[in-house]
Amino acid sequence: MPEAHTPPFKRAVLALNGGSSDELILRLTTAMAKGTEAELIAVHVVEVDWTLPIDADIAGNSEAAQRVLDGAESAAEQARVRLEPVLLQARDVGAAIVDEASERGADLLVAGLPYRTRFGGDFAIGRTVPYVLKNAPCAVWIVREPIPEEPA
Amino acid sequence: MIGGRRPLKGRKPADRRVRVERPHSAFFRYGGPGTLVAKPAANQPKTGLGRAWARVRGVAIGRPLASEEEAGEKLSKKKALAIFSSDAISSSAYATQEIIRVLAAAGATALAFSVGVSAAIAVLLAVVSISYRQVCRAYPGGGGAYAVAKENLSPLFGLIAAAALLIDYVMTVAVSTASAIGQIVSVVPELDPVKIEIAVGVIALITIANLRGLRESGNIFAIPTYSFVFLALLMIGMGLIDIVTGAAHPIVTPNAEPLGAAELSIFLLLKAFAGGSVALTGVEAIANGVPAFKPPEAKNAANTMTAMAILLGILFIGITVVSHAYAILPTVGDIPTTVSLVAASVFGAGTLLFVLFQAATALILFLAANTSFNAFPRLGAILALDGYMPRQFAFRGDRLAYSWGIVILAAVAAFLIWLFNGNVTALIPLYSVGVFVCFTLSQIGMVIHWRRVRESGWAWRAAVNGFGAMLTAVVLVVVVSVKFVDGAYLVVILIPVLVAMMLFIHRQYQASRHELAIRRDFVAEAPQREERVVIPVPGINRAVVQAVQVGRSIADDVRAVFVTDEPDDIAPMQEAWERHLPGVPLVVVESPYRALVGPLSAYLDVLDAAWPPGKIEPITFVILPEYVARRWWERILYNQSVKRLRSSLLGRPHTVVVNVPYRREDAEAFAKPAPPPPTA
Repeated sequence: MPEAHTPPFKRAVLALNGGSSDELILRLTTAMAKGTEAELIAVHVVEVDWTLPIDADIAGNSEAAQRVLDGAESAAEQARVRLEPVLLQARDVGAAIVDEASERGADLLVAGLPYRTRFGGDFAIGRTVPYVLKNAPCAVWIVREPIPEEPA
Repeated sequence: MIGGRRPLKGRKPADRRVRVERPHSAFFRYGGPGTLVAKPAANQPKTGLGRAWARVRGVAIGRPLASEEEAGEKLSKKKALAIFSSDAISSSAYATQEIIRVLAAAGATALAFSVGVSAAIAVLLAVVSISYRQVCRAYPGGGGAYAVAKENLSPLFGLIAAAALLIDYVMTVAVSTASAIGQIVSVVPELDPVKIEIAVGVIALITIANLRGLRESGNIFAIPTYSFVFLALLMIGMGLIDIVTGAAHPIVTPNAEPLGAAELSIFLLLKAFAGGSVALTGVEAIANGVPAFKPPEAKNAANTMTAMAILLGILFIGITVVSHAYAILPTVGDIPTTVSLVAASVFGAGTLLFVLFQAATALILFLAANTSFNAFPRLGAILALDGYMPRQFAFRGDRLAYSWGIVILAAVAAFLIWLFNGNVTALIPLYSVGVFVCFTLSQIGMVIHWRRVRESGWAWRAAVNGFGAMLTAVVLVVVVSVKFVDGAYLVVILIPVLVAMMLFIHRQYQASRHELAIRRDFVAEAPQREERVVIPVPGINRAVVQAVQVGRSIADDVRAVFVTDEPDDIAPMQEAWERHLPGVPLVVVESPYRALVGPLSAYLDVLDAAWPPGKIEPITFVILPEYVARRWWERILYNQSVKRLRSSLLGRPHTVVVNVPYRREDAEAFAKPAPPPPTA
């Protein structure tokens, strides 16, 4: 039985994008929340472009979207940690994550950052992470996946 | 699995988002395209009684485990020796006792032959273990006698081996538990009057532990097994020193049985040999569990088999030699046991070493019993999957254990202990027969296996197994003939009975499979048959109205049948029916003999007979209105006629029986106030 400890958060919103960083986020946060009262909220946002209505039937039918949250639930079940899965549709992923964290009174927002380079050159941070860093009302942790090894 | 969508405002007008509900997520998760995997919540009972029962089960046997939680532990040779050998090694605790009990019938001088008899059994053990080394190498997937005999001889011989194994496993539990209790009573004689209760209690505990999914954890087994081996070797060593130094003097055996004056004959020696051959029980366990070893599995299993045989041989001969040196005699009711008398003579009665040895002996015997709790349910499951046992034996319970096999093994073993008053000697004659049937069949099977595969060195391997088969067959004949009247006849009867039962079950399953089989080229087309609905009604009430409404949603041809033995009830019923259900025909069947099922069945026959010849028979839906009782005890007050009707109609051709339950929640449909009466 692990000793109870005070986690650095009470309610954390985990922004999951279905990529390899999800596993890192879940491993990190479930380990911290284990044996405590801390609550995790796993959020997956499906971006809806402007050609479709915002409430179009997209995410509900997407097995990929469901699988992201089911995976989070399984990880939480194994770690015996409370986790609420939330599936959203939005025009802008960053805004949806920040608004969800704000509405739920989260004191931590954890987002993943894939290691991508623009046209094989500079590291590209994308739109979502800068938006979250700039607008989130709570603490933000960014989990960047390791730099893939270059082929010899 | 589409849920609702709830629009939510963002900080800016363009930041609107929609939360998509996931109604499945509480009970299922996605397992792949078109596949849902049930979560624990899907198995939660919904009634108060069900939840209470689930809590009781949770406390007794633990939370349900998912199939993926099954742990697969690969065993080192040391751990495997402890796990698989506890059954075989523990038999050294009572094998000597069985030899001297027989020889004592010919007086004290005959007891001198106990060492020779045990040496002969050790030779047999060597041959059997060398033969089983071959099984380990030939069947790395686990070569139980059933698998070997079924594959190489015929399914019938496989079943004979299976029946013998099942009996063997039951006897292992009964004999080991009885012997363990005997060891405890040898230290604390005051427990003798309650030994059956203790034995049954211990079996119940082992059963619960196994229903909880007790894993073959090496550590649990290693401590008692190696403690017993260490203390027994210490006892034998100290005993041999006493013999060499002349310190071993004959003792006065407490509670000794009087010595007999029978002539020392070949028959008596063979009987002693047959009695002592229980030492070989459990030898096959390693060959059955080859896949559990660390790689190279077959080689490690074969070497573990050799180590086990050497240990067992030393312990068995050693205990017999020391027992003979102290002139230990058999006791009345096996209390105190022979091995405890040996320990008391060598260590000193009541000393710490004596108590420790007795405790280790009792523990290893309990572990031997537990070995059967792993093997019996697994064999039952294999037989069930092959269609020779009821399918329930292959179902795994909440904790991934084969619950049916575990419970049945415990029940039969406890019954045997009660029946034979926990007397090991009384149980032994039932024991050895099954063991030697398995040995013989699997060795013969191995000879055929080597002849078939003809791989390098097949000839000498076949020769080893052939010699083993011959020897064990001879011992089988000896065991059956000398123990026949003592109880072996029961096994001789029981094996064919079990085989016949398994064949009967197999035939039933084959027949039903044949009946239910679908041709590969069969394609189901949309049904063209007409449908009609018949609703037996006891009167008119909400449950009946609901059943009629369900019937109307199935077919246009709906009729109610009112079977009554009271002519006075007919007119009011017809009047009420017309008022509440206009347009639905009501057929009244008067039943002067007060029967319900017969007249209704006859009415259905008439309907069938009236169907136009040449037209495909319609499907008749018989809808039975049913009132759902609120409490469990209310269930005996309602629906008895429905049960009778249902069971009588189940076998009827072209008929589907539908139960329409009326629940409390259905009352809302009837809550609408009646329209006001028309004013004049």
